[in-house]
Amino acid sequence: MDEWKPNPAIKPHKKRSWYLAWKYKLMNQRALRKLCQTGAVLFLLVTVIVNIKLILDTRRAAYEEEEESAQDYDDEMLNVEVPRHPVSNKKVLDVEVYSSRSKVYVAVDGTTVLEDEAREQGRGIHVIILNQATGHVMAKRVFDTYSPHEDEAMVLFLNMVARGRILIFTIKDEGSFHLKDTAKNVLKSLGSQVAPFLSWRDMWTFVGKKGGEVYGEKHAKSPALSTWGDPVLLKTEVHLTSVEDAECHWPDTELNRRRKRFCSKVEGYGSVCSCKDPTPIEFNPDPLKDNKVFDVPVAVIAGNRPNYLYRMLRSLLSAQGVNPQMITVFIDGYYEEPMDVIELFGLSGIQHTPISIKNARVSQHYKASLTATFNLFPVSEATACALMFDQGLGNSFLSFLSQSIHLLEEDESLYCISAWNDQGYEHTAEDPSLLYRVETMPGLGWVLRKSLYKDELEPKWPTPEKLWDWDMWMRMPEQRKGRECIIPDISRSYHFGIVGLNMNGYFHEAYFKKHKFNTVPNVQLKNVESLRKDAYETEIHRLLGEAEVLDHSKNPCEDSFVPDTEGRVYVMFIRMEQEADFTTWTQLAKCLHIWDLDVRGNHKGLWRLFRKKNHFLVVGVPASPYSSKKPSSVTPIYMEPPAKEEGAVAVPAVAAAEQT
Amino acid sequence: MCQSCPCFVFPRGGVGGGGGGKAPRRLMQKINKNVVLALLSLTSLVFLLFQLYYYKFYLSQKNGVVFSKVRGSQSGQDSTRWHVVRKFLGLISSHNIPVYLIDPLILGLVNKDIEQIRSSPDGPSPECKYFCAPRDFTTFALLDKTWKHEVGLFRTAEKMGFQWLKIINKDPRLDGMDDLSGIEIPLHYIFKLASHAIHLVVFYERSGNYLWHGPLRLKQYMDRKFVPFRKLHFGRYPGAYEKPELVLVSIDDLKVQIPKNPSSFLEEMSHSRFLECRYREARAFFQLYPDDASLDAVEFRKKAKSLLHLAALTLNNLGVKFWLSSGTCLGWYRQCSVIPHSKDVDLGIFIRDYKADIIPAFQKAGLWLKHKFGKVEDSLELSFQGDDDVKLDIFFFYEEGNHIWNGGTQAKSGKKFKYLFPKFTLCWTEFVELKVHVPCESLQYVEANYGPGWKVPVKIWDWKSSPSNVQYNGVWPVDEWDDVIQIY
Repeated sequence: MDEWKPNPAIKPHKKRSWYLAWKYKLMNQRALRKLCQTGAVLFLLVTVIVNIKLILDTRRAAYEEEEESAQDYDDEMLNVEVPRHPVSNKKVLDVEVYSSRSKVYVAVDGTTVLEDEAREQGRGIHVIILNQATGHVMAKRVFDTYSPHEDEAMVLFLNMVARGRILIFTIKDEGSFHLKDTAKNVLKSLGSQVAPFLSWRDMWTFVGKKGGEVYGEKHAKSPALSTWGDPVLLKTEVHLTSVEDAECHWPDTELNRRRKRFCSKVEGYGSVCSCKDPTPIEFNPDPLKDNKVFDVPVAVIAGNRPNYLYRMLRSLLSAQGVNPQMITVFIDGYYEEPMDVIELFGLSGIQHTPISIKNARVSQHYKASLTATFNLFPVSEATACALMFDQGLGNSFLSFLSQSIHLLEEDESLYCISAWNDQGYEHTAEDPSLLYRVETMPGLGWVLRKSLYKDELEPKWPTPEKLWDWDMWMRMPEQRKGRECIIPDISRSYHFGIVGLNMNGYFHEAYFKKHKFNTVPNVQLKNVESLRKDAYETEIHRLLGEAEVLDHSKNPCEDSFVPDTEGRVYVMFIRMEQEADFTTWTQLAKCLHIWDLDVRGNHKGLWRLFRKKNHFLVVGVPASPYSSKKPSSVTPIYMEPPAKEEGAVAVPAVAAAEQT
Repeated sequence: MCQSCPCFVFPRGGVGGGGGGKAPRRLMQKINKNVVLALLSLTSLVFLLFQLYYYKFYLSQKNGVVFSKVRGSQSGQDSTRWHVVRKFLGLISSHNIPVYLIDPLILGLVNKDIEQIRSSPDGPSPECKYFCAPRDFTTFALLDKTWKHEVGLFRTAEKMGFQWLKIINKDPRLDGMDDLSGIEIPLHYIFKLASHAIHLVVFYERSGNYLWHGPLRLKQYMDRKFVPFRKLHFGRYPGAYEKPELVLVSIDDLKVQIPKNPSSFLEEMSHSRFLECRYREARAFFQLYPDDASLDAVEFRKKAKSLLHLAALTLNNLGVKFWLSSGTCLGWYRQCSVIPHSKDVDLGIFIRDYKADIIPAFQKAGLWLKHKFGKVEDSLELSFQGDDDVKLDIFFFYEEGNHIWNGGTQAKSGKKFKYLFPKFTLCWTEFVELKVHVPCESLQYVEANYGPGWKVPVKIWDWKSSPSNVQYNGVWPVDEWDDVIQIY
């Protein structure tokens, strides 16, 4: 208002009249009031508008802020996590168990947890273990108690199951023929009334709690030898306990949390889940002096054999000089239980969608595992160690590698280092400190150079449609290119697979059980430097020079072929027309009871092993360059291959042997 | 906008209020009317003032220290930050976790006094100069080797009063692989105490000898307001770094590892954005067009890879920034590998990064100059060849207006060609076990070069007519030919 103060002196006339009018109006109270009122209303309107605008502005800004604050950071994968099992507070489980000649099934709360109606399969007693608090299936086994020894396995298994678990039994086809009294007594102690009297082709179902009540049992007797009992269907209810009751009360440590998670999910791992005195899951083996393999990545190649994997990882983690951070376990398929085992030990596990079938599947799994290993541990010129899940490792496994791994980096003529000697049987291996160079590549725990894999093998690895064995492929001359592997005389790993992918019981018995395995810790390897390409030749020539030539008129299969001495070096010469002529060698290997399914362990037509604690050299003449060492008086031994039909029998065994 | 509102409103408010207050005296009606009016104005004014206050408060919250609900004194705030950092360092050292400081703000401050800090590793500092600087976060880095007992760490952290958040995601090192699914790996940790938070970025070593950190992406169930995520210095994008050399220093009486050369680290950080190869799309591509697994293809890929490694080594030693261009870039973008039927390796370099040493350096590395087209001012292009029959083409790129172009020259006719690209910036990626640059705007780049049909492999390619961005660019003057068309 002050701004409008009149200054009549400079105002032109016209303005002046306007000013007068205004002045007059001012005098008029009513006009003034009116003006003030109008001003107030105007002001009111303006403030209301501004207020509304401000509110809206603030709102919008706040909203934007909220939106933006994490907008860029939202996970694009909107994986809404739905709990897999709706949390039910149900206290009672409905259990249905069916037993018949050709079909068994178990349903828990309407969900089928076991169904087997395949022909010629699944004979015997099926056992299912449920968690007494959650009702989840913790283990599923079938024991073919029609066959011998399976009942012992069942007893072993049942003894391992923790008290309080719910056990479900059902018989398919026949389950009593080799069910011995020990096993029957165990079943009786679980509360079964019928078990002691189970007989030929009876049908039987049983649900009970270990060390507790019986929820139901049904039995149908077989009326005659040639017929089966009527199918039985048992329907019963199981009362769930509280979670606290189902768990052990271990001290709350990180390790025990892992243990708890594991033990509430799976059964059949024995003392690891024992409440009183659980076996450790962390091992802290002694560190290895001057450990060269601490930073070497380790790939464990596994399938769905969680029990083997458990044993394998135990042995690996107990090996002197192990570094758990470098271990990755690769599982061929999306199986839960192997993952549980891996988590129990706090290792990292990777699952691989199976590609292709049969051997190609193994081969693709191997490739993926190796590639991933080198991706995960991209140390510039590293080596990696690949282990199979069905092998055990000695305490000295890493010590052996630590002492020899530098050769792999320095000697270009090397292909791999393996802890396994194909020919290292109880009666043919002797010296834990001795190493060999061989032209074949044994599997079962081996180390390879990154550049070999990345530059040579990976780009041309057999594609999924080729049903090849990865190890056979790796042994092919196109890949091996004349390079050799280093192996110990006495293996540092062992094989415990009985029913592997391509492994049958007889096969394992014949070829793996009598294998020698080193149990001596901290062996100082003696001839590491002499394993370099040229040094090794000198060494061989020295050995052949001092070796005594055996009496070639005797039968090499006879025990008396080698004198009853100790610590001597003997040499024998066999016929070997060209490099690939292994006729005599194969026969010799057969009668010596060593690996004869294909040729292993040779170095330029020379084999090295032990007989009666004497070093025993076999030279193939004339193909071997060492043939010159043969005295002219000696005629190389030739052994006939057996008649054809025997050869035919051996064929399936060869097929089975490929996956070793 | 809002700044102007109060100025505009205030004087008017004064008028209105005054008018309202003067009003009454004579008639009850009028008085009532006036009083009502005055009261209304007053309320409105109060409300307006309140709004303004609230808005200002809100703005300050937005710009200043955010999650300090209690507005303590400035010095109190400063020492809080220092205390939180100290507590955090105590926490991680009690668990033997080696971390190093990568906070750009603090490293920036440290960088100014780097000589002094390095020379007096133990000296007590008179004032809190670095860790008290106003900020919401302090950022640390952790190298892959994860600790054994994470749960134990979190428990201790909770006991110390920290709230924590762990961000995990897929392991990119397995992404390129067929159908592998591993356990998700931790990418970021955030530890919050009072008004300050520690951001711990996990770096992983990857093939190509570099360090990688992942993007920070919140899962659905995560608290979006745990900290103001937008203000984090790391995590908007994944990043690639060289392995830093570390040095232990004492800053504000706290012993901490920092990159030995903070300024180069900060420089590196400013363009560290990393692009993952599009593995999923590459797999889809190979479903449609199965990979060439012939021996020739294997052999060519091997040669191309070693040539690229050699070129990268040479150019990196010179400090020349380069990126994958043309066919090599297409191979990366489309199939995450070298296209086996391409005949060469193509790189791009901005002309401003051109160095005369490039040719001698390559010759020293065992690659001889095959041809040189153009000149530094125009359409420069170099071709090298090694012992293997794979050619290395280096195109120089010129910035002009809103596009970038490189040139081509036909040797026999002296014709010039121009290849236009929309503007782009450079990102890191991993290709054949190498950390290399590619255009961040990869799709636009590839599309400019190969047109919308780039997804379909083409075996017959003419560099003069096939590219969709080629332009005829005249002819070199004949008298310049000796200079701009050199073939060896």
